Amino acid sequence: MVNFTVDQIRGLMDKVANIRNMSVIAHVDHGKSTLTDSLVAKAGIISSARAGETRFTDTRQDEQDRCITIKSTAISMYFELDAEQMEDIADKTHGNGFLVNLIDSPGHVDFSSEVTAALRVTDGALVVVDTISGVSVQTETVLRQALTELIKPVVMINKVDRALLELMLPKEDLYQTFCRVVENVNVSIATYQDEGAMGNLMVSPELGTVAFGSGLHAWGFTLRQFAARYSKKFGIDRNKLMKKLWGENFFNAKTKKWSSKSSDEMATYNDRGFNMFCLDPIYKIFDATMNGRKADALELVDKLSVSLTTEERELADKPLLKVIMRKFLPAAEALMEMICIHLPSPIKAQGYRCGGLYEGPADDECAVGIRNCDPKGPLMLYVSKMVPTSDKGRFYAFGRVFSGTVASGMKVRIQGPNYVPGKKDDLNVKSIQRTILMMGRYIEPIEDCPAGNILGLVGVDQYLLKSGTLTTSETAHNMKVMKFSVSPVVQVAVDVKNHQDLPKLVEGLKRLSKSDPCVLCYTSDTGEHIVAGAGELHLEICLKDLEEDHAQVPLKTGNPVVGYRETIQAESSFVALSKSPNKHNRINMTAQPVDEELTKLVEDGKITPRDDFKERGRRLAEEFGWDVNDARKIWCFGPETKGPNFLVDVTKGVQYLNEIKDHCVAGFQWATQEGPCSEEPMRGCRFNITDVTLHADSIHRGASQINSTLRRVVYASAMIARPGLQEPIYLVEIQCPENAMGGIYGVLNRRRGHVFAEEQRPGTPLYNIKAYLPVSESFGFTADLRSATGGQAFPQSIFDHWQLMSGACNEPGKVFDTVTALRVRKGLTAELPPLDRFLDKL
Amino acid sequence: MQVVALVSGGKDSSFNMVKCVENGHEIVALAHIHPPADGEKDELDSFMYQTVGSNGIKLIAECLELPLYLQETKGNAISQTLEYSKTENDETEDLFTLLSKVKEHHPEVSAVSVGAIFSRYQSNRVQNVCDRLGLQMLAYLWQRDQKELLHEMVVEGIDAVLIKVATMGLGKDDLGKSLAQMEQKLLDLDQKYGVHVCGEGGEFESFTLDSPMYKKRIVLDEVEVVTHSDDAFSPVLYLHIKKAHTEPK
Repeated sequence: MVNFTVDQIRGLMDKVANIRNMSVIAHVDHGKSTLTDSLVAKAGIISSARAGETRFTDTRQDEQDRCITIKSTAISMYFELDAEQMEDIADKTHGNGFLVNLIDSPGHVDFSSEVTAALRVTDGALVVVDTISGVSVQTETVLRQALTELIKPVVMINKVDRALLELMLPKEDLYQTFCRVVENVNVSIATYQDEGAMGNLMVSPELGTVAFGSGLHAWGFTLRQFAARYSKKFGIDRNKLMKKLWGENFFNAKTKKWSSKSSDEMATYNDRGFNMFCLDPIYKIFDATMNGRKADALELVDKLSVSLTTEERELADKPLLKVIMRKFLPAAEALMEMICIHLPSPIKAQGYRCGGLYEGPADDECAVGIRNCDPKGPLMLYVSKMVPTSDKGRFYAFGRVFSGTVASGMKVRIQGPNYVPGKKDDLNVKSIQRTILMMGRYIEPIEDCPAGNILGLVGVDQYLLKSGTLTTSETAHNMKVMKFSVSPVVQVAVDVKNHQDLPKLVEGLKRLSKSDPCVLCYTSDTGEHIVAGAGELHLEICLKDLEEDHAQVPLKTGNPVVGYRETIQAESSFVALSKSPNKHNRINMTAQPVDEELTKLVEDGKITPRDDFKERGRRLAEEFGWDVNDARKIWCFGPETKGPNFLVDVTKGVQYLNEIKDHCVAGFQWATQEGPCSEEPMRGCRFNITDVTLHADSIHRGASQINSTLRRVVYASAMIARPGLQEPIYLVEIQCPENAMGGIYGVLNRRRGHVFAEEQRPGTPLYNIKAYLPVSESFGFTADLRSATGGQAFPQSIFDHWQLMSGACNEPGKVFDTVTALRVRKGLTAELPPLDRFLDKL
Repeated sequence: MQVVALVSGGKDSSFNMVKCVENGHEIVALAHIHPPADGEKDELDSFMYQTVGSNGIKLIAECLELPLYLQETKGNAISQTLEYSKTENDETEDLFTLLSKVKEHHPEVSAVSVGAIFSRYQSNRVQNVCDRLGLQMLAYLWQRDQKELLHEMVVEGIDAVLIKVATMGLGKDDLGKSLAQMEQKLLDLDQKYGVHVCGEGGEFESFTLDSPMYKKRIVLDEVEVVTHSDDAFSPVLYLHIKKAHTEPK
């Protein structure tokens, strides 16, 4: 641990070139938190006043009980490089001390939204991969998230000790395992990276961007360290040697020569450089200590010039192994070195991230401030999440300064996600009460905080729901809203056990909604309080938090239910017509389904309402066969103005049409938010306004006349276009030994799941199964699977796609039954409303 | 000036009469356009006239103790442009017939009291008819702020009840409620959906039970709710007055 006064830490924050903001990301159970612990133990900054108190890691009781991370935690660390290490840093630096802000994030898919929030405020990521399980579904997901946020990855291959102790892999097999992990990571990177902005991001051991080790035993190394060790011995340049230590490079112990072939005339003496120089000493230590040859072990220790204390020399077996390895190859040294050398500083990172972070024009003062990471520029601060304080109901806003300097007492513009430049919606001008440093569960007040740093703010939580932009510039646009890879597809209704507690529940729901980036809390039309989360586990944690922390009253919860999407499966059978309540305005409309691919592009934010309409029009015409004129006249997307449904104006020469556009857009948002059959949101529908007849006087075609008419005509045209339902589907990844597979197939079959990939993990007896499973069938799946396989199978489920259910809402069948159940649950009439409530006759 | 007042039965025409008197005019007659007497429906969805509550108009004349002139309309809007010029068989011509009749009986009348607030469509047509008959149009409510106006009516004692609703947010329960009872709700709906609080966009129609000018007041004894169109979000409903009487104030 490093002891610093707050002033010293504040001093470090000014040297932006020496700051590294990074997150640790991985699949669940690949050992992030354990690894982070070993880093913190070595380099964590603790303010002098706090020295001696307990360490900061997983702070919540339930995190410790379940052995998983639920909330991401930020920790600051300090590390100094020596002169030799400094040579490898390409960019300008400011002395040899580095401030590393590390965010440990959860690995379980249900909490990926926490990862997204963490990634936004960091520039680099340490991707941790388990040697044995390899690259898993969540590794890919978080890597993809990192790359879309333009974050540079480095890799740590973890749990090498298990490969040695449990699987007893020979050296060459271990090398091959490492190679496969590196390859798989690079495949993901190649798929998702944005070439233009950041250059080549592929990781490779010979460049020093891959580390190997064991977080649990606190040892680890990169090739750089071995190269440094041997370069003196052999008198070869360190960088040249590093390349020899990986790949097809073989050393002949007899001739002392390198060769690129594993077999020539002296084949018996050839050995791969990596195996001989890196793995050999490690294998020898493991072999000597674990097989009780203590004398050999101690001899090795002296040869490697590792110094042990007298007490340590008394140890044997595993404890001795741990001590030797920790002293021989300290994990923190290797990782901190890798982080400082290979991850970008805020100055460098913001240069290329600016375009992806800022919504406004690339040349306004804010964009320039962000690009240059200018502490004197206009303030641009992004709040990525809210952290509960010890004070119930209050939150620290956690975020990063991208431009300018934020100070306590400063007056700032607090812009929520719905803020539009030049308007007053979702905008507050308030003073920041305090700026604070967040170190694990401790906080320290600081005077101010310059661009490039991560911090907490007190006093802005009332004005922001979950995230937002803080700025001093009147012309500033928002920072881009984070895109989550999970959506709240599982919902549950909550109620209080004692009626008088209701106000506490309402207040508690507000707090819950703030404290979690992904959870959705709302009140249904029937007055039920609904909590929606990414999965069963996420929901369980949210409800527990709600009951114990946020509301603090006994609660009862209903069965979890699934959100559906309403869609249409054909073109409407005729042109629908609806009249306004005063009967003097008429709208004609047709509906048609939208290509699934296009729907996905909209949901992924690849096609947005803010695109240039000509460019978007061309794309829709070329790729999806739209009429180019229609494609240019998309009035709006919906719901929430960005959803995957379109309102298109295909009218010809209608007078006053533009005057009612706003009313139509408003009505469309409402209609697509609550579809005609079950009041679930609509998806993948296109509605064409074919003709409009309007009253000649604007007073008779106002919002209240048009809004509801548009909504009715949307419903009418959808009802005659074979309305259908889409249900959410999980991608499930299960790892298990062969004998458990029968049980897994059984459970999946019972739950309408189907397996689409099954492969053995090379070098292990484990199988990897990938399957699709309807979310509605997923409740209790994990428990069911455990009991069917004797606890040998561990599933990871992540929302994958929406799937059309066969049948129509208005024809008897499964879809019809689902719709009826949804309607009853929402307190609507069980029968669908008759068409004539939406449709009018001329 | 001596004035003939166009009455629909609603709050606006009643309140404009009050304003005429305040401005020193004298109301000498009432004129009303009504749907066909043998018609089955009260509501014609006319572009010009309020037809709901028409069968209560005689009671209003009784309360005001003024002669009432009637004219039937078929509710045909042939010319639907904003501006109007004389068009055969258009519903506007019914107004011309009516006012000509009033002028015959009351040659001294030189102005018409009209409760228009914002509808240029309607005021243009009344203006056209008045011009052709050499009458002056008195519309004291014209272009007034609707929220202010609604409040003023409530304060000055226009006791009108909702007799027809036709907008999102208003429903069966609101029929028969007075302006005073509805004021807050209408203001909320304005915020929410852009409903015009005085119902100028056709959001609702009213029937005046009492006003400062009434010598007696009207009591509705029996009404029936009629569903005009059962829309999903903005059902159009109105009250059919089956039985009503006047009583002294």
